[in-house]
Amino acid sequence: MKLNDSLVSVEDVSRKFPLDHSEVTAVDQVSLRVTAGEFLAISGPSGSGKSTLLNLIGCIDKPTTGRIFIDGTDTTDLNASRMTELRRRKIGFVFQTFNLIPVFTASENVEFPLLVQGIGARERRQRVADALESVGLSARARHRPDLLSGGERQRVAVARAIVHRPALVLADEPTANLDTHNATQLIDLMRDLNRRFGLTFIFSTHDARLLEHTPRIVRLTDGHVESDSAIEGDSHGQVLAASVS
Amino acid sequence: MGKFLLLAFRNIFRNRRRTLMTLLMVGGGVAGLLLAGGYFAFMTRGLREDTIHNGLGHIQIFTAEHFRRDEVHVLDTGIDNWRQIAGNVSTGGHVRSVAPRIEFYGMVSNGSKSSVFMGSAVDPVAENSLGFSPRLTSGRDLSGKPNGEVEALIGAPLAKSMNVKVGDGLTLLAVTTDGALNGVDVQIVGIVNNGIAELDARYLRITLASAQRLLQSDRVTNLVMGLDATENTDMVAAGLAPRLKGLPQEMVLKKWIDLAAYYKQVRAMFNGIFLFMGIIVFFMVLMSSVNTLLMAMFERTREIGTMLAMGTPRGWIVALFMLEATLLGLLGAAVGLAGGNLLGVILNASGLHMPPPPGYTVNIPFRVLHVPSMMIGASILVVMSLASASILPAVRASRLQIAEALAHV
Repeated sequence: MKLNDSLVSVEDVSRKFPLDHSEVTAVDQVSLRVTAGEFLAISGPSGSGKSTLLNLIGCIDKPTTGRIFIDGTDTTDLNASRMTELRRRKIGFVFQTFNLIPVFTASENVEFPLLVQGIGARERRQRVADALESVGLSARARHRPDLLSGGERQRVAVARAIVHRPALVLADEPTANLDTHNATQLIDLMRDLNRRFGLTFIFSTHDARLLEHTPRIVRLTDGHVESDSAIEGDSHGQVLAASVS
Repeated sequence: MGKFLLLAFRNIFRNRRRTLMTLLMVGGGVAGLLLAGGYFAFMTRGLREDTIHNGLGHIQIFTAEHFRRDEVHVLDTGIDNWRQIAGNVSTGGHVRSVAPRIEFYGMVSNGSKSSVFMGSAVDPVAENSLGFSPRLTSGRDLSGKPNGEVEALIGAPLAKSMNVKVGDGLTLLAVTTDGALNGVDVQIVGIVNNGIAELDARYLRITLASAQRLLQSDRVTNLVMGLDATENTDMVAAGLAPRLKGLPQEMVLKKWIDLAAYYKQVRAMFNGIFLFMGIIVFFMVLMSSVNTLLMAMFERTREIGTMLAMGTPRGWIVALFMLEATLLGLLGAAVGLAGGNLLGVILNASGLHMPPPPGYTVNIPFRVLHVPSMMIGASILVVMSLASASILPAVRASRLQIAEALAHV
């Protein structure tokens, strides 16, 4: 895979955090390439560096060493405002705890990234309606988050992440706070969006239910890539087996 | 912008109890300022009108010489052709009447005891037409057409000191314009209480004709003009100035504010107290609001992190917090305006009186004026205070590290 073909290219990236008088290495010399349209899981036990790697790819943290390219842009040397601009245009986020704005309705939450982009009211309305429809929540558009179930909140979060048509959606443990039924629905939804719209999903998880639907799994252990089971033509089961073997 | 405003507005009511407490505090500050300022405004307006209607008038005309040097003899800086000038200025618009005055001094004696008086000679008819009536405690005012007797009004403390009452006689002694000593017997027709003890202890008033006879002069010290409303003073004064040019004597025109030294002192004192109260309210609102807004910021750390992650410019976060604080300030000001004005109406209807201030002898009614400029000023003050209080939380929120903020519990 060439660099030019990659939507995301992580090159020999490390992230160290100071701890008392020493350092903790959360991500250690990780290299990874993701092409547009992939549905990729980063798995591993707690503390393996999944969230840190997602933060680095999402441009909300900077690597200590190494370089990260998003859609051909080297993010390493970008200043804060260019990083903000990159996140605003190219990346959508889904969080474990949904992180919806509680005083906004579902549709207003979905609308927020478009407001930040300065998109006009008419187009905003149309895109919000489309996004909510694509996650099956058109009927709940006027409800505030506290009136929605956990699964519905996370689907609103997914709609918010895709409404501005980003190149990449990053989801940090998206099913961790959901029961099996809602988790399964969310997984199906994300996979469906990936297939229908060619949206690239990178998510961290150790949820086996989600991994079963994932064609490519990168397994981290102690900040290292232990395995990257992207085997062309493999079934989900084979990929999952490869990732945990 | 609409959605941004909506977000700010809804955020205010996230924690209703805390918002209610903030609104009560801000509203209390505004209401306190309105009540205190409204009372001060009532006091200063009352003092202004008292000062004017107790005889100062709205405009006074003197010779320029009067302010250049001290008089060697009484009335040697007085106005010669005052009747012509009075006739000329009284034809202007808004002028109710013009009254000539002589200010003089001398000794008053009851035969066994003497005291100094500060005399004022007036034309009773002109004074009455201006509504300048002395505050009589007994007797009557000076007559416009006396029947041979020289009538006099004296202050209550002076009457007590001289042991006289209405109907008794006194002798006035004064230096004439030639420097000679002259005297006249007067009959007391009224006792006056102006409410200012030091003034009343020297107060004496006789008619203009009597004073001119005593002082052996046809001159007057000044001309006092009364207008239909105090607010017209500046306009009338500007219109009169050209009419006083080219006269044999150089004349000057003084507005009431130029002559009301005591009024200016009181007003300056009230302004100082009000400014001090305003500063206290500003910092009281600021200090307590900083804490409240910081708490709100900490509670919303993860939400701010989420907004920043989605590419919200950090300036927007600052603007959001400042907008919330400004809206809170506006709501608090509205609460304060409503509460302060309502309390003012209730207090005005209650008929309360305050004890007399230093130098006064009568109780002052407690009234609160509803002054629009004060309402605007107090509202701007608290809005600015809250906006200032939001700077620290807003800047802190905008500087949050996104990854740390997202991990905030």
